[in-house]
Amino acid sequence: MTVATTSSQPGSALERSGGGGGGTLADVVETVLDKGVVIDAQVSVAVVGIQLLEINARIVIASVETYLRFAEAVDRLSITPKDTKGLPDLVGDAAGAATKGKAISGLGKAAQEISGAVADSLGNRDDDRERPRPRRRRDEER
Amino acid sequence: MAEQGLFIYGIVPCDVEPTPDAEGVGDPPGEVAAIQHGELAALVSPIGLEEPLGRPADLTAYEGLLDGTAAVAPVLPVRFGTVVTGEDAVEDLLAAHHEQFADALAEFEDRMQYTVHGRFDEAEFIGGLLAENGSAAALADQIRGRSEAESREQRIRLGEMISQAVELRREAENRAVIDAVGQYAVANAPRQPSHELDAVNVAFLVGADDEQEFVRALEEFAEQRRELIRMRLTGPLAPYDFVSAHQLVE
Repeated sequence: MTVATTSSQPGSALERSGGGGGGTLADVVETVLDKGVVIDAQVSVAVVGIQLLEINARIVIASVETYLRFAEAVDRLSITPKDTKGLPDLVGDAAGAATKGKAISGLGKAAQEISGAVADSLGNRDDDRERPRPRRRRDEER
Repeated sequence: MAEQGLFIYGIVPCDVEPTPDAEGVGDPPGEVAAIQHGELAALVSPIGLEEPLGRPADLTAYEGLLDGTAAVAPVLPVRFGTVVTGEDAVEDLLAAHHEQFADALAEFEDRMQYTVHGRFDEAEFIGGLLAENGSAAALADQIRGRSEAESREQRIRLGEMISQAVELRREAENRAVIDAVGQYAVANAPRQPSHELDAVNVAFLVGADDEQEFVRALEEFAEQRRELIRMRLTGPLAPYDFVSAHQLVE
């Protein structure tokens, strides 16, 4: 069921993925959750045991924790040379549903090419199939 | 045998039929069928009413089926987790809202959703802010080399300034991306940020004929910001963010 079409033209600043449920789980959750037509309650019998613990992870609320984290980033900036690119810090929660990509250290102007390479590898983090162009899935034929 | 219901994926024109390899939600995956009524059909699969939903495989199956369908025909996604008692309930649903659903489907003919997502590079963003904002830079000097306990108040003030700057810049970037590529889209729908460093999060409904121009304009937008924002384009997708006008909540 997965056709992940992650394709970046070499050197392109735009990373692409093809949908179809083939992205990271975080992408899928963000794409589909709380979307779509809501059906009348009297017809619908049930929303059966939906176990989506990550729902709250999508809501961004600025908090003291956020502020302290930003301040910590400032601290890091002071000790990291501007032209050193850190490895992306991929953090998955227990359910593996929320993936945050975060560059740890300074991304300087000199590191432009390197950062491009990192962006490419991030795009393929769940899928090593490289396709030149997005391809559409066809589950249904008219 | 446990009681069964029907999981509804989406509503399509009546000439759409699932291919035999279409897999639905559940474990093992349910077989997807189309239940027709008038000009419409609903894509459904059987699901045990005791069965827990929302596993990763359920979500990817749901999105896979809808996006795959959207590639060949218009589709109205139905909210994930909608389960009805049986075929009769599906037909009642299609009959009760036939005109609304048919009108909505006509709007989505040859149009698909693309979601544009951008995230600020943290170091680049903060570095830029400290360079242009004297009071932020002064606070940064006060916290450097000091423990969190010693400089907690300054840290919170600085972090709040950064957070507000991100929010302001995010609003500006969302407007900018709509200005830059909106002319190639039929509609746009700004989305809630999903991360504290979100820079851009907007869904666009794009006609098949405009897809290339849309992507080209977006690549240009991304190129202009390549150091500050990591830009991603997801799609083509079913029109998840464009069905809210058709919600039936009575």
